[in-house]
Amino acid sequence: MSRVDALKLIAEAYPRDPIVVTLGATARELAAVARSDNHLYVLDSMGLPPAIGLGLSLGLEASSFDKCLVVEGDGSLLMGLSTLATIGLLQPAKLFLIVLDNGVYAATGGQETASKAIDFAAVARGCGITARDVDSSDDFARELDRCRTDLGPILLRVRIGAVNAKTPYLLEDPVLLGDTFRSYVTANRG
Amino acid sequence: MTTSVVRTGEGRSSPTERAQAVIEGVDAIGLDFVLQLPSSTLAAVIRHLESRATPRTFPVTREEEAIGIASGLALAGKKAALVIQDNGLGNLLTALNTFPLAYHLPVFMVVSRRGGLNEYNSMIHLFCERVEAIADAAGLRYWKLDGRVPIDAWASTITKGFEHSVLTRRPVAVFVDLMGGQP
Repeated sequence: MSRVDALKLIAEAYPRDPIVVTLGATARELAAVARSDNHLYVLDSMGLPPAIGLGLSLGLEASSFDKCLVVEGDGSLLMGLSTLATIGLLQPAKLFLIVLDNGVYAATGGQETASKAIDFAAVARGCGITARDVDSSDDFARELDRCRTDLGPILLRVRIGAVNAKTPYLLEDPVLLGDTFRSYVTANRG
Repeated sequence: MTTSVVRTGEGRSSPTERAQAVIEGVDAIGLDFVLQLPSSTLAAVIRHLESRATPRTFPVTREEEAIGIASGLALAGKKAALVIQDNGLGNLLTALNTFPLAYHLPVFMVVSRRGGLNEYNSMIHLFCERVEAIADAAGLRYWKLDGRVPIDAWASTITKGFEHSVLTRRPVAVFVDLMGGQP
């Protein structure tokens, strides 16, 4: 499964819920294939998306959104790994963390991450987070649907290929990106 | 329970009075969440916050994680504050500049000062002496509460600092010298 394939499945399964998407090729590819106001494109801030998603989820627990999603990469998750402990502590009901794991820093030339040395799902479970592994697009589609009704924080580790799609740089003003997302959340939280 | 600050007359305020003034200021904001990384100098403040159901007060693992969580809460329309110590400020600089500063999000923090006179920890000076210069370089707007500021002004400075963060849509810190070591 390519990252674009995975991103399309996520966008199709969750067209309404807030989605925080990690930096680099992941944000660029999602903006290219499924641009939407419910997406928060994090242009930098490596390691931060799970924390941003945790804050959103805590703030939107009483909202009508089913989930607050975070689309993270293995390299960025490793940088902010201790946030899993805070997520486990707080048990945000709607937080759904999807880790697209290709084992490399794909946006910077394909340098290897430490991903092969860590079982992300096991670490998450050790923190009190429901976690599973997915390797195929069919299984991923099923899990996206299944997770919709699960209560409590979830981590889904999804194995993807290491190829980047050709996309334009995402060079928009972050103030506008943030305000578009905030306005969407405010108008649709119910 | 919040109590009134006991004044000490003409002299400098005591650490207990300063902590109580910080509590009054934080309480007056009407926060939904407090994210804390403790300092021995902040223990009384954190103990007070954790004794109440609102705001919801919880620990974070690193200062940059707190920046991320507080930014997410701001995007969700919630009022939040960080309660941290200044020698952790270095941890949050990249997160601060690449997210709430870049995206214009209000993130408010009460930061205890360490180092200087009355500091018992010999290893904390090197970073803490440079905190204001680092905050200036990082574009972090801040106000300082120390022995030169009348205790009557502490609580209102904290509440106004929060309001300034919301008004200007950017991170704001109030540096509080609870032990009297600064200047």
